[in-house]
Amino acid sequence: MGPSVSGIASDRDGAAPLPAKPRARRIFEYKRAIPWTWALGLGISIWVLFFGLWEIASVRGWVNATFMPAPHTVLGTLYVMLAERAFLTDIMVSVYRIVVSFLAASAIAVPIGVLMGCFRVVDAFVNPFVAAWRYLPAPSFVPLLLMWFGAGEGSKLALLFIGVVFFLATLVMDHTRAVRTELIETGMTLGASRRQILRTVVVPAVLPNILISMRQMLAVSWTYLVIAEIVASTTGIGAVMMRGQRFLHVDEIMAGIVVIGVLGLAFDFLFRFAHRLLFPYLQRGNN
Amino acid sequence: MSPLPESKIAPAARRSKLAVRGVGKTFQFSGRETIEAVRGVSFDVMENEICALLGPSGCGKSTVLRMVAGLEEPTSGAMTLDGHRIEGPDKSRGMVFQAYTSFDWLTVQQNVEYGMRINKVPKTERKERAARFIDLVKLTRFRNAYPSQLSGGMRQRVAIARTLANDPSILLMDEPFGALDAETRWQMQELMVGIAETSQTTLLLVTHDLEEAIFLADRIVFMSRHPGTVRENLMVDFKKGRRFQSREQMIEAPGYYELEKKIMHLMRDESRRDADSAAGQAH
Ligand SMILES: Nc1ncnc2c1ncn2[C@@H]1O[C@H](COP(=O)(O)OP(=O)(O)OP(=O)(O)O)[C@@H](O)[C@H]1O
Ligand SMILES: [Mg+2]
Repeated sequence: MGPSVSGIASDRDGAAPLPAKPRARRIFEYKRAIPWTWALGLGISIWVLFFGLWEIASVRGWVNATFMPAPHTVLGTLYVMLAERAFLTDIMVSVYRIVVSFLAASAIAVPIGVLMGCFRVVDAFVNPFVAAWRYLPAPSFVPLLLMWFGAGEGSKLALLFIGVVFFLATLVMDHTRAVRTELIETGMTLGASRRQILRTVVVPAVLPNILISMRQMLAVSWTYLVIAEIVASTTGIGAVMMRGQRFLHVDEIMAGIVVIGVLGLAFDFLFRFAHRLLFPYLQRGNN
Repeated sequence: MSPLPESKIAPAARRSKLAVRGVGKTFQFSGRETIEAVRGVSFDVMENEICALLGPSGCGKSTVLRMVAGLEEPTSGAMTLDGHRIEGPDKSRGMVFQAYTSFDWLTVQQNVEYGMRINKVPKTERKERAARFIDLVKLTRFRNAYPSQLSGGMRQRVAIARTLANDPSILLMDEPFGALDAETRWQMQELMVGIAETSQTTLLLVTHDLEEAIFLADRIVFMSRHPGTVRENLMVDFKKGRRFQSREQMIEAPGYYELEKKIMHLMRDESRRDADSAAGQAH
């Protein structure tokens, strides 16, 4: 780099300008942002590595092909399932269950969590209830839900709802509590009423963290979905996997797992994208 | 507490803005445990005056300020602002905290407009006032920036503009420059003098920085601890009713060192008393 480019030192005093010498980028840097091309490349490589090793292990016969079919077999089966066996309908059923139950759970949990985080009276009233439910494993309600709702959609949606709502409320409560008191008091000394503070200070302050909590709970929601569909359903990804198990079609089970993984990644991406879009003020320049 | 020598406090033309009368605060912990934070605190802040609450850590400066703001209720005594009894927080007593309180989801402009929007100031007036106060704190270039893109000093200026634009009757500040480096702190203090002149603000400021108190204040209320009481109510006489525009001016002014020495003496005395009482308890 020439002195004209560096533009650092003025040589008015006769000293030679010191050319800027960028340090070579090292691979491991604490907490330093990396170029998005690196991130993309690294993200893809781990999957290539994973499937590559799996493929090699299958082709070489290191694993039993019946219990561990090769990736290309799984992908082939997935194609057949999608093209000839209306697997897409099952996928849509599962996605529908996730979305509906998750929206319902969020619509209840977020307002309650915010109010619990703001007001001790709400906390004292609701928390003993929520805390107890959180310790009860949601799947233990399956027999009960089956009796109440039968084998229809109701029982699955109810399980997913129960599995998410209490945890999400607690997460939202913790984040709301963490909203700094000074922000609320600033609002008060500017003349805001309690209701205005809730709307114009607390909610905007906690919203980014609410979205993060929802993203975390959505992953949990998938767990309950598969449980619900395995034990009590004839439709959905979980049910298809269960049928695969009955007929020893390991490739079908794995195709189901792949689809759940891909969908999980897609939802996660959507949440990240929404986060970036909704909260531009959280973005800071790198370095 | 002896009555304040009224004649020495201020020119007769000045009216008392804030009156604090025999205010005490005892904090109650769970169970029977209590802490008496302040006791029998009385002082006045005159119209357009800058008053500094000074004293050692833990003497109850913040507690007094928070009671004036209405964020804390006194256990005894009373306070009035413009003759009205203080009850709960409202827009007449805007507060700037030591911790940054900019609303991160709003731009500088929106932050400064916040109070006016809450109080339903018409849009055109709101925009115009916000622009004026953003200009006053020299942030016009950053009016569309988000707080996360600003330095600590700039954020504090946003908070000051936001509070002033809301037209409070008195501005309350709790160690507003405590988190800033020395150079930025000086700049902010000099800026504050200019702002006080321009906006004719009455200001009650908590600080434990002796020079900050002398530079900014027309009156210094020196507090002593265990429990927090007013030890001295000092007029910063050597300024002769003027305010300095820069710290250099202040340091060169006759009388500055005498006042600084006097207050330093008070501070030393406080720490000696603390040491004595600690020793007394040990035996
Ligand atoms: N919310 C509270 N609950 C219990 N005690 C409190 C509370 N706030 C203040 N105190 C007590 O009151 C006393 C005075 O505290 P305060 O914060 O007013 O002091 P300060 O002069 O502002 O000190 P500093 O210069 O360190 O900020 C302290 O002993 C403190 O422990
Ligand atoms: Mg304090």
